[in-house]
Amino acid sequence: MKIVRSIYALLVLTMMIQGCAFSRGTLGDDIRTDAVAALQKGITTKDEVLRLLGAPDRLVPLNGRDVFQYYRYDAKAGSLLLIILNFSRLSVKSDDLFVILNRDGIVEDVIASKRTDALAFRFWPFGE
Amino acid sequence: MTQMMRRMASMALGLLIGLSALGCNVIRVSLNTSLAPEDVAFIVPGKTTLSEVVANLGAPDSIDDSDSGVVATYRFLDLKYSRVNFGWLAKPWTPVDPDLIFSRTGLGVDAFEVLCDGQWVVRQKEFLRHLIRPPFYPYPFQRSGRLAPDELLLGTGPARPAIMVSHESGNDRSRSVPDK
Repeated sequence: MKIVRSIYALLVLTMMIQGCAFSRGTLGDDIRTDAVAALQKGITTKDEVLRLLGAPDRLVPLNGRDVFQYYRYDAKAGSLLLIILNFSRLSVKSDDLFVILNRDGIVEDVIASKRTDALAFRFWPFGE
Repeated sequence: MTQMMRRMASMALGLLIGLSALGCNVIRVSLNTSLAPEDVAFIVPGKTTLSEVVANLGAPDSIDDSDSGVVATYRFLDLKYSRVNFGWLAKPWTPVDPDLIFSRTGLGVDAFEVLCDGQWVVRQKEFLRHLIRPPFYPYPFQRSGRLAPDELLLGTGPARPAIMVSHESGNDRSRSVPDK
C-alpha cells in the first residue's frame, strides 16, 4: 500500500514540476557593497567615488550639490502551468545608491539600500 | 440512499469547482514593495528627517530638486491580471477552438513622495494616487476601484484611504478639487 502511495505522490510531483517555468532578468551592474562601505562622509572625493563605483547612472543637481545615483534592477518570474489553470508571478526589485557631494566635491551623505537580496522566485499570485 | 446522495453532491461540487477553474490565468507583477498609509504613518512633517525615512523605507527610487527643497520618490507597482476562457466548456463538443474570454487588469501604479527642506527635514508627504488595491476579478463589466472626486467629497465610495483622513497639511485631494 505504501509503495502505491509513493508512486502516486511521485506521479503528482512529476506532473507538477513539468508545468513549472522560471525566468530572470537584470538591468545594470551589481552595486558592490565593499565599494559602498569604502565611501566616507567628509573625506572621500568625487574622483574617488568615480574610481570606486564608475560613472553614475544619473546625475542630479541638488541645491548646489551633486547627487550621483546608481541603480540595479532584478526581476524574477515563476509560473505554474497546469494547462487549464495557470499561475504566474513576476517580482521586480531595485538596489539604489545615492552619493551626495557638497560644493567642494566631497561626499556629504550616502543613501543606499539593497532590496534584491530578499527577492525570491514566486509563482503564487495571491497574498503579499 | 444517503450515501449515494453524498457521493452525487461531492461529484457535483467537484464538477462546479472544475468548471469554474476552466481556462483560468492568474498573473501578478510587483515592482518594489507596495507602501500603505500605515507604513508611512511614522513620518511627521516638520520633525522626521530624510535619514529616518530612509532607515525605515530604504533608499528612494529618485531624489529630485525643487524650488523649496528636495523631493524623494518611492515608486511601486502591483499589477493583477486574471482571465477566464469559458470557451473551454464547449471544446469537447466542437471541432474548432471557441473562445469566450473575460479578463481584467488592475495596474496599481503608485508612488509615495516626500518633500524635504534644505536641512533634510520632511515638510510634506503624499501618495501620488490613492488607489484601492485591485482584486483578482476577471469580470470586466464593473466600474474601476478608484474613487471619483465627488465620492471623496461626500465620502460615499468604498473605504477611504487612511492617508486622506490623516493628512495634516490640508493639501488633500478632497479639498483641492477646483470649483467649476
